[in-house]
Amino acid sequence: MKRLRVDRWTGQLLVARSSQRGCCLAAGGALRSARSDQHYIPVRSQSTAVSYPFSEATETSFATTLQVPQDPSELPSPIPERALHSAKLASLHARLSLPKKLPIQTLARTLVDASADENPQFNNINLAFVGQTVINYHVSEYLMIRYPRLPMEIVWASMRGFAGIAPLFQIARSWGVESASVPGGEVDPGLLQFTTEKPGVSLTKFGYRRTEAMYLEKYKWRRGISNRVVFDDDFGESVDVTPGSEQTAHEAEMRKKERKEDEDEEENEYSMRRYGDDETRSLAEKAHAHFVRAVVGAVYMHCGRDTAHNFIKAHILSRTLGLSSLFSFKKPTMELALLCDREDFDPPVARLLSETGRQSRTPVFVVGIFSGKDKLGEAAGPSLDHARLKAAMNALKAWYLYSPGEHIRVPSEMLADGAKKWDPAYIDIGEIISR
Amino acid sequence: MTIRALTQVSTGRNGVGAFVLQCKKLEFHYCDWAGSSKGMNIFIKTLLPKFAAEHPQIEFNVSPRPAKHPLVTGHYINGHQKPICVRNLEPTAILQKVKLLRDASGEKLKRVHKPVTSINPSVRGVWSPYHGNGMAV
Repeated sequence: MKRLRVDRWTGQLLVARSSQRGCCLAAGGALRSARSDQHYIPVRSQSTAVSYPFSEATETSFATTLQVPQDPSELPSPIPERALHSAKLASLHARLSLPKKLPIQTLARTLVDASADENPQFNNINLAFVGQTVINYHVSEYLMIRYPRLPMEIVWASMRGFAGIAPLFQIARSWGVESASVPGGEVDPGLLQFTTEKPGVSLTKFGYRRTEAMYLEKYKWRRGISNRVVFDDDFGESVDVTPGSEQTAHEAEMRKKERKEDEDEEENEYSMRRYGDDETRSLAEKAHAHFVRAVVGAVYMHCGRDTAHNFIKAHILSRTLGLSSLFSFKKPTMELALLCDREDFDPPVARLLSETGRQSRTPVFVVGIFSGKDKLGEAAGPSLDHARLKAAMNALKAWYLYSPGEHIRVPSEMLADGAKKWDPAYIDIGEIISR
Repeated sequence: MTIRALTQVSTGRNGVGAFVLQCKKLEFHYCDWAGSSKGMNIFIKTLLPKFAAEHPQIEFNVSPRPAKHPLVTGHYINGHQKPICVRNLEPTAILQKVKLLRDASGEKLKRVHKPVTSINPSVRGVWSPYHGNGMAV
């Protein structure tokens, strides 16, 4: 009997179950049935264990599954064995200081986007889903504990600022990840593989589709905050699948067929390829973001919850975002009056603290807003009204950006063993809902 | 009216959380015939393996470039490259150049006029003529 090579197994942790391997083989067989000149069907497996159709462990079948396909460009993505020989991949693993528990083959898998390889056992879609969940959880708990009075719109905007597609794209670029021009089985496994030709598969988001979703789109109805808290995803965006947003591959094909019928032209694969417009840019950003999410997912799966939390704190939460610049007010004086009324403060009064150049072309008025003897906010402006409005905005920001401290315990710390007793976190009544 | 939100992306601060070395690849070009490449050839045989083992986060690429001077090129995360011709240098001098490339970011060399560079506003506050006791004239 052929000696089982244990050293080839050590890297391959996420072993596919036999039924899934059967599906993989069936898909592989169907895709490659066109090539009749090959004497065997090249099989990709995630493990070197025997595949499902060859359930009897014979020498010949074992040897067949271990063979590398003659032409790697037949495959949509590089085989896992090639990950061991990629310098780019090894350097990426060390640059991110990833633990040794995370195998390099999994890191290679995180670089394969669903648009490059549709097989979910070889692309990063599932790891990206896990990573997205973990990232959104930790970022949202950080925001809610550290800024308990933040209005919901600002929470969503900060979520987008820390964990949205744009910052994750920047993070991927800051890690020195390059992308392959065209994905395929022969590319370096250390390159991010994706294509902008087709949108690929979108990540599942937590949310619900409204029954009136079609009318919301058509008549541009307003989505209220409470409604969005219940129905929408972590970033306040609706989870409906609409043309132009993240689509499934099936819908993209349907749209392509419609476009074909409209244009009524000869379809040349390379002549009408789009390059360098907004949609290709957004698809590229999305692929990079999915990669970052997949890395976090891989860290979570292989190394555990605490390591993933530390990774997110190091790479995502260490970034800086000025929350005060996210606010946009409509009627700050009215909002401040309502706030003082709710909190049983004295009604706010604007007082001129100092001024200069009233009759000149560049006056400066410094206005403070007082509630009784306490100054709530202060600002300088070129006119009295301007200064008063700015002072009201500063007062509201001072209220909403209250923070119990920089080094505050988050709820997920209680999941660790031997955690100290939990002090109740400050939970706010909510923002001012103006009339 | 409820508060509306503006869109803004967070800014990375390399080193505050995780530190990512900005040099991601070093290319070494040598020549077996040229005399200027003698030091480089010795460097590649003796000093480079240890240096490469100490820096797993850098991708090392060694390739011959016949009839040309020896060259070391650093590739950085911001997409820039820094080539250094190491003709007629001793191996230790080449190692110094390689360390220079490793320590650099890809940015162009700029003269720094101020002692402190920061994205944070001043710690004690900017002076204002409208606050405080004013100035006696």
